[in-house]
Amino acid sequence: MNDKLRAFSGQIVAVVIALAIGAVIIMLIDESPTKVFMTLMRGAFGDQAKIAGTLLQTTPILICGIAACIGLRGGMFNVGIEGQLFLGGFAAAWVGFAMPLPPGLHVVVAMTVAVIAGAAWVSIPAFFRTRYGTNEVVSTILSNYVAVLLTSYLTIFLFKRPGGWSETPPILATAYLPELFAFSRLNWGLIIGLALALFVAWFFRSTAKGYSISMVGSAPKFAEYGGIDVKRQGFMVLLASGAVGGLAGGIETLGVHHRFMEGFAPGFGFDGLIAALLANGSPIGTIVTALFFGALRNGSLLLETDTNASREIITVIQALIILSVSAQVLMKRRGDSTAGERRWKF
Amino acid sequence: MEILSLFNVALLVATLRMTAPILLVALGGSFTTKAGIFNIGLEGQMLVGAFFAVLGSIWSGSALVGVACGVAAALVFALAFAVLVVSFRANEVVVGLALNILAGGMTISLMKAIFGTRGSIVGKGIVGLPKVQIPGARDLLGSWAPLINGFTPMVYVAFIAVPLLVLFYKRTRLGLYIRVVGEKPEAAEALGISITRVRYIASLLCGLLAGLAGAHLSLGYITMFTENMSSGRGFMAVAILIFSNGSPLKVLAGCLLFGFADAFSLRLQTFGFPSYLILAVPYLVALTALFALSYRSRPKIIRETLESMRKLLSVDNKPAETGKQPLT
Repeated sequence: MNDKLRAFSGQIVAVVIALAIGAVIIMLIDESPTKVFMTLMRGAFGDQAKIAGTLLQTTPILICGIAACIGLRGGMFNVGIEGQLFLGGFAAAWVGFAMPLPPGLHVVVAMTVAVIAGAAWVSIPAFFRTRYGTNEVVSTILSNYVAVLLTSYLTIFLFKRPGGWSETPPILATAYLPELFAFSRLNWGLIIGLALALFVAWFFRSTAKGYSISMVGSAPKFAEYGGIDVKRQGFMVLLASGAVGGLAGGIETLGVHHRFMEGFAPGFGFDGLIAALLANGSPIGTIVTALFFGALRNGSLLLETDTNASREIITVIQALIILSVSAQVLMKRRGDSTAGERRWKF
Repeated sequence: MEILSLFNVALLVATLRMTAPILLVALGGSFTTKAGIFNIGLEGQMLVGAFFAVLGSIWSGSALVGVACGVAAALVFALAFAVLVVSFRANEVVVGLALNILAGGMTISLMKAIFGTRGSIVGKGIVGLPKVQIPGARDLLGSWAPLINGFTPMVYVAFIAVPLLVLFYKRTRLGLYIRVVGEKPEAAEALGISITRVRYIASLLCGLLAGLAGAHLSLGYITMFTENMSSGRGFMAVAILIFSNGSPLKVLAGCLLFGFADAFSLRLQTFGFPSYLILAVPYLVALTALFALSYRSRPKIIRETLESMRKLLSVDNKPAETGKQPLT
């Protein structure tokens, strides 16, 4: 528990350091940091609709974060969540507009196809990672670019809405994910995300399978001596991670946009990965960090109109947070030379 | 006939031109790879290099100063990478990715703050790199002259750097140190080589070349900066580095393959193939190469089978080669 507390205080310190550096950068581009932070707060939590907007942005970050958590716990760096998100989003949209089904069932089928699409997309890098040891970081990053271009191609050349620009036809109303409130597009996706986070946390804490995955992630040699099929398990971990990434895309399509369009979810996959890293691979912690990043993202929309800063300043802050989390190892245990390497191997 | 007309001198010239930026950044990465650091941050270093090169060029009115600014910015990123990875011992993948994200966000934020625009910087007095005219090239080679003539300086730098790096690793003390640190850190330590210092130097050399690559992107054949204009070239370079293991000649071979894929896909575009699929070609080439060549490192079964076969063959051949029975 003491360890956990220390890690938690570490994350807080990291966030504070990053915000301080961010403030300096904001001053450098001739803007007042307090004004930027107040605008961010107002944009994120200003009124009912703003809060709902924040939660709306939190949903995909949370689900992508869970996808990243699954990978990180199993010792796999799935940097391709962005690509899985795009494919899942497209697949769900396709089922949504091309396959008339009764309400209820339609959502389930579309989600399932999205999940399959995400898992299928990561299966090739996963196969080569576990069979031949091909670095999964590079292969999943490169497949992101392919996924974005492929879905754009499918959207614009094969399934374009007549008269529309770079978007598919709208999905049928039967495939809509129900909304939670009348005043916002906030939908059941958030509930699904929260339930998934709790489930994954329970899975890692209380099941034998979850334990063996964590063991492979933290001590692969030990796990192998213990009789775990490390390769098979690594493959399944990446597949599960990709499946959750696909789910995130499906929820975005069915719950928010009700169609697939080019660039429909920019950066959610990377935000999710950062949220998971900041939460140290804990799904429950990811709920908190995803909410934080969702608030930043929603708040940043107001930044563009009300200040001189651009909304990408929050990307800078996010990157600084991760850098300062990884840097503070030095402050804690300088003598232990491998402390930093171990930090990210859960 | 249509397809055949794709292959001509112009395609070769385009290949060399497209190869240059990725070759520069991959050669930079070869320093870190040889020193035993997995550097996924190349992408970000290249991007800040491109941005600050444009900035420096506008500010000073000179392309050379622009290049210097780009290199300086990339060096700052490389230094940050080295501080975190080498001194703080943070995870190199996490730091590299975070620096890439930082580079993306920072360039866009600065673009908005300085120029008040989103998307791209065009015009505004950007001075591009001059084209080098080699005297006598046209007389000597005729229609083949464009193969060595009329490139921007960076293209020459990239290709000349290849043999220089081969010599660097083989013949210089620092090159040897870098290799030792990467391959056998324990040995390096026993010899009294400072691993930290060597890795810092390797990181900074990497930043230098990545900065040049970035400057070439924004001041070379197109003089503009666009959001995330490095568009994954840094990651492709990392893919090349994985299967070439940082050896300069293999890096060159891999980069030429990419340059060709890039040039060829641009050609295909003019034949009316959907641009989205064409744009995916370089990434697919990178993935295919990465997957296809990964069998070398593993699984052991294939490698060991090949090795034992080779041994078997060489044993059979030895007497035949020398022409006499070995003395027993």
